[in-house]
Amino acid sequence: MRVRKSDLVQSLFSRCAALFRRERLNEDLDEELRAHIDFAIEDNLRSGLSEREARRAAMLAFGGVPQTKERYRVQRELPWIETLLQDVRYALRQLRKSPGFAVTAMLTLALGIGSVTAVFSVVSAVLLHPYDFRDPGQIVIWRESIREIQSVSPLLPDNYRHYLNLKNHAQSIQDAAIMQSPVFSISTGTDHPEMTEGLAVSPNFFSVLGVNPLLGRTFLPEEAQRGKDKEVMLTWGAWQRLYHGNSSVLGMTLRVGDEAQTIIGVLPKSFRFPVISMMPGGATYGSTERYEIFKPLVPLQAELTANDAEFNYLVVARLKPGVSVQQAESELDGIEKATAAADHLAIHLGVTVQPFAQEITGNVRKPLWLLLAAVLGVLLMACVNLANLQIARGVAHDPETALRSALGAGRARLLQAVLIENLLLGLAGGLGGVAFAVIAEKLLLMTAASLPRLNEVHVSTPMLLFALALSILTSLGFGLLPALRSLRVLPRNALQSRSTRLSGNKQAIRSRKILVAVEVACSVTLLIVTALITRSFSHLLTQDRQFNAQHIALARTDLSEPRYVTKETSLVNLGTDPGSLVRGAMIDRTLDRLRTLPGVQSVALTNVIPLTGEMSTISLVRPDHPVPAGQEPVANRRFISPGYFAAMEIPLLSGRDFIQQDRGNRRALILSDKTAKAVFPGENPLGRTIQHWGHIYTVIGITADARINDLKRNAPVFYLPYWDFPPENPVFLVRSAQDMETLGPAMRQAIWSIDPDISIPTVISLATQLNDSVATERFQTAILSSFGGAALLLALLGIYGVLAYSVSLRTQEFGIRIALGSSRATLARLVLKDASSSVLGGIALGLLGAAAATRWVDSILYETSRLDPWAIGLSLTLLLLAALLASLIPLRKATSVNPISVLRAD
Amino acid sequence: MGESKSDILQGTLDLMVLKTLESMGSLHGYGIARRIEQVSGDTLSLNQGTIYPALLRLEQRRWIKSEWGVSESNRRAKFYSLSKTGRKQMEMETENWERIATTMARFLTPSVEG
Repeated sequence: MRVRKSDLVQSLFSRCAALFRRERLNEDLDEELRAHIDFAIEDNLRSGLSEREARRAAMLAFGGVPQTKERYRVQRELPWIETLLQDVRYALRQLRKSPGFAVTAMLTLALGIGSVTAVFSVVSAVLLHPYDFRDPGQIVIWRESIREIQSVSPLLPDNYRHYLNLKNHAQSIQDAAIMQSPVFSISTGTDHPEMTEGLAVSPNFFSVLGVNPLLGRTFLPEEAQRGKDKEVMLTWGAWQRLYHGNSSVLGMTLRVGDEAQTIIGVLPKSFRFPVISMMPGGATYGSTERYEIFKPLVPLQAELTANDAEFNYLVVARLKPGVSVQQAESELDGIEKATAAADHLAIHLGVTVQPFAQEITGNVRKPLWLLLAAVLGVLLMACVNLANLQIARGVAHDPETALRSALGAGRARLLQAVLIENLLLGLAGGLGGVAFAVIAEKLLLMTAASLPRLNEVHVSTPMLLFALALSILTSLGFGLLPALRSLRVLPRNALQSRSTRLSGNKQAIRSRKILVAVEVACSVTLLIVTALITRSFSHLLTQDRQFNAQHIALARTDLSEPRYVTKETSLVNLGTDPGSLVRGAMIDRTLDRLRTLPGVQSVALTNVIPLTGEMSTISLVRPDHPVPAGQEPVANRRFISPGYFAAMEIPLLSGRDFIQQDRGNRRALILSDKTAKAVFPGENPLGRTIQHWGHIYTVIGITADARINDLKRNAPVFYLPYWDFPPENPVFLVRSAQDMETLGPAMRQAIWSIDPDISIPTVISLATQLNDSVATERFQTAILSSFGGAALLLALLGIYGVLAYSVSLRTQEFGIRIALGSSRATLARLVLKDASSSVLGGIALGLLGAAAATRWVDSILYETSRLDPWAIGLSLTLLLLAALLASLIPLRKATSVNPISVLRAD
Repeated sequence: MGESKSDILQGTLDLMVLKTLESMGSLHGYGIARRIEQVSGDTLSLNQGTIYPALLRLEQRRWIKSEWGVSESNRRAKFYSLSKTGRKQMEMETENWERIATTMARFLTPSVEG
């Protein structure tokens, strides 16, 4: 008979339904069959049989009534559910009998599954889950390159004119948008202005990403023209923060950079756009999702015409479906080269295309995968420990298993019983794991604010499904081996006397020893990786950074509003233009005011908050020693005030600091040691000259190489006095014994007493800034260390378990040995020998694993060799100590065996 | 007994039940069993009990319906009747069987030419 799927579903439904009306259906069946027999008897009587014969014939024709009922019931219900329920009940009984084991197993699993789930949900949110754009896989970033300066900067941001050319001619892309990330000072008109970041974007930006506004509209093409660009869009977060989600926000006015702008749209809550460094692979500092407002991008006239300069933008493009990144790159690169050749450019241009996701998470990819690998290692160890416990329990149950098997239980049924017990443990552990993961995630979020997209991490259906899958997998993982082992037990052996059973035990001990070796190997690998990462982090913190971050407060202010800035400046009047003079005066007065604060030791100024990475990297040209373009040494330019080095406690190696008398009299600069060696190799740089901004500057001082940009990199720096070009975002530094709670507000008040309409976006202590700059490393070290600790503990428990068990089995043997005159030392050696094979084997295996793993983590180690003897030595010592600790109790037991009582016992 | 063989027998029995219900209308289990025995003569020796799992199977697939009723001899019994899908299924299967039967018959009947 052909049976359709729908028929089978129907059957399944009625079978399930039948489970709940069993009594009633049984009665029905009884009545129906009784009626059948009665009909048959009636017929038989009619054909002349006696009553007895009629009944006999009826029963004969029917066949067996009980057999029919049994077959009927099998057809009516789901018989396997019944055996399943039986096994579940059996497993629950078994677990209740050993509550110690059950609780240990569930806790271990809960911690293991919980940690993996928490780390996985971070990994999935940060790495695997794409941004909420339409078809995010098609979104790419492209950058340009100039072959002549490849050695200095391999890739550049984009030129506006090249962008238009590529966008109009490339066939491989659907559309491309261009953007720039200015910092805005904004005011809703109720308080001091505040500063926020946003993007100036071409009007097609949101259509390229495939994002529709929640309220209002996006930008129109004509709004990218000067004078018509008075519109802004808000992110959902800014809408909540500034307007408390007021639904009539559209049409309201927001002052951006001292100009009134109209709010035309609000973006959906799920929309986020990460901070992308203009330079590829360049670190982005602080929270990476801080853009709050979007404005139309209006290119400057100079940018529309410049063909070999003004690389100021970043392009985000959408590929046509089915076009690969490589195809797009080769087409764009070809167009760019052809255009450059046709325009007879003296430089050689190129284009590089990078998938958006790669661009965003490139830096954290490896650390996160490392964490996931480490936590999976811990889970594996937890499974191994449970498998060990299960084998021990299995051995204890051998006689019972053998009895069941002798009484006719099939292998499949026996296996099912064991697996179901494990599955129950696994699911209970998984449930606890989810609860643990929720807590663990909160902790992860607190320690890892610097990871991109971390705000998207939360308990979700995929996470729960992941935990469920993990529970089932782990229960199979730790249950299968013990289950298969117990099946190999021959009923005959198991039912016989205790001594013959020992052989089965020995086999069990061998598998347990292998498991312990695996466990030791895992923990050796994990410990070595953890030790290396920790060493690397402590290097980062304890190295000589040549400045003192303690007791310094920073306040960054915004002087980019129209009254502080000259619209069109040129190199000729740079520094003496009206805007510069106003800023210079403001800075002078603020420095003086800050000096009057109580408890202040020194006050200074710079133009970039320390430890926010390299920026303003400039080529240094020596007029007396020209080198080919693109080969000049480069250094980070910093504007500072006299007293900056004293305040930061950066040692001055030779020469002198800037002094007020230099102002207007001479062009002077100060080099860091590294810069000096690069520009004037083998010479004394003091008194020598460097060309900058069309002026000749004289080197007046050399400082130590202070890592003020990035703790990880000794970046070359050169310093100019602030009066040469007063910064638009001056950062005031105050060294004071006072704490931040009083100093911070005092600094704000001092600055606002000069100009109350200045926004002060950041007031922070340098120590905090330093801590924040290594947040990712700290996060990684903290998490890995906790995993390393867990691994060590699990290894200790594993070794202890096996040793304790094998000693308990050998009590009799030890008793005899003592009776025959063995010394306690000999016994101790026997026990240790028992442990050493799996520990030493595990260490060898673990070193192999570490060799592979450390090759992979090498690139995230900071000034730490992957063969660092301290890290490896410490890991092995820790493990051996744990092994020794684990053998102490079994050792004591073995050596304190009382021969008389042992020999009597059997 | 191999599983495939019992499957065929099961299918056969199912079709017999459906056909019986089609020609006789509503009928109780005993009636169906007797009718099958009568129609097949001595060629099929059926344990009457086996009819019940078959009836349940057909009912689970919604090919037949059942309801309690009273027989001519005033006895309470469960009466089975063909459903709409059951009728369709039966027609399809009948056609199928006939085709197999003719094909088999052609193979098994010695050809005239020898």
